[in-house]
Amino acid sequence: MISRESVEAVLDRVRPLLQADGGDIELVGVSGNSARVRLLGMCSSCPSAHMTLSMGVETALRDEIQDFEELQVV
Amino acid sequence: MRAPTLLGRVDVVVGESPRMRAIFDVVHVMSRSDSSVIITGESGTGKEVIARLLHQLGPRRHQPFVPVSCALFSDTLIETELFGHERGAFTGAVKDKPGRFELAEGGTLFLDDIDDVPLSMQVKLLRALQNREVERVGSTRPIAVNVRIIAATKRDLKQLVAEGKLREDLFYRLNVLPIVVPPLRDRREDIPVLTRHFLECFARDRGFPVPELSPAVVEALARYRWPGNVRELENACERMIQTCTCGTVRVGCVAAGVLFGASRPGSGGAMISSGLPAGISLDERLMQVESNLIRWALRVAEGNKSRAAALLNIKRSTLGDRIARCGLSGDHRGGDPRSVSDACVE
Repeated sequence: MISRESVEAVLDRVRPLLQADGGDIELVGVSGNSARVRLLGMCSSCPSAHMTLSMGVETALRDEIQDFEELQVV
Repeated sequence: MRAPTLLGRVDVVVGESPRMRAIFDVVHVMSRSDSSVIITGESGTGKEVIARLLHQLGPRRHQPFVPVSCALFSDTLIETELFGHERGAFTGAVKDKPGRFELAEGGTLFLDDIDDVPLSMQVKLLRALQNREVERVGSTRPIAVNVRIIAATKRDLKQLVAEGKLREDLFYRLNVLPIVVPPLRDRREDIPVLTRHFLECFARDRGFPVPELSPAVVEALARYRWPGNVRELENACERMIQTCTCGTVRVGCVAAGVLFGASRPGSGGAMISSGLPAGISLDERLMQVESNLIRWALRVAEGNKSRAAALLNIKRSTLGDRIARCGLSGDHRGGDPRSVSDACVE
């Protein structure tokens, strides 16, 4: 099972990019080997952004955390 | 830099970097001659754009520009494609068909991926270039052709000659005026001007207003490695135009591959500046830097360890020890000796 800290560490690397554009990403919860996040601010209502960011962040999480399974954007 | 508009058709952004300016100057000079040109550059660097520019700036601009991708055709098809065939030359040849050489009469024949022309066809190609005449398949009647040849390849032609995949005589026949187009990552100052150009083109095509780019997006585009070069940038711009719904392109509208693919170590990516991973091993990183630099020195020295040691300012015996410690072995002569940047990443 993955730890909340390991997910936060990866999100911390992504965050400056989003914050530079007036957005943010918040970790809602970790269950098993999956995580749920929420997009905040700018882009949070844009469907394109949801797809791009969920794909990108999920890839980053998989690269960094062994056994990471799924990222859900809520 | 924008090429002058001729006949309202040439409007090609080449870039503002010194290297592209130099190429543009040389294209102007070369466009006046009839000599063969060979354009070398990675996939997506714009070899065909340069070829069209050569054609359209020169005296042949009112004649056809005929591009042929030699990679598209099988060994046998390429012959009829280039030289044409007579009726009855083979099953299915129900009528005479002119080849691309004939179609390009008076103009320019652009042979892309010239390295994909099989050895057997290279002889015939060479004859056509030398004698300025072609014979259709199934005919012995020579047809005089007046075409300018521009060839392009993404591979190192000298290497192909060394490997026996390209005839030396054809190489020398083609290699009269060489142009080397640098990859986009080696001329990053061109990224903003190309981005603006593509965004304007796609927006105009679709009747959309040209969107603004947020500073974070500008930075991400500038940092990405662009392995697919200008073509990849063009596609990224099309995506931005298509996905942006609010008038300003923000990070969410940029392809995930560009935004986050740049995060792999050594890719100079957008996320590297955004902080460090949870923890790193200093010894491992140093070892990586060391082995990259040793590889670079060996490449530059073409495998000569004494010269590589001199480049690194260490003793020859020390270099031997370090090669063993880093687990490096084999031949390091290949590759581009200029790519020292790879050795200095991170």
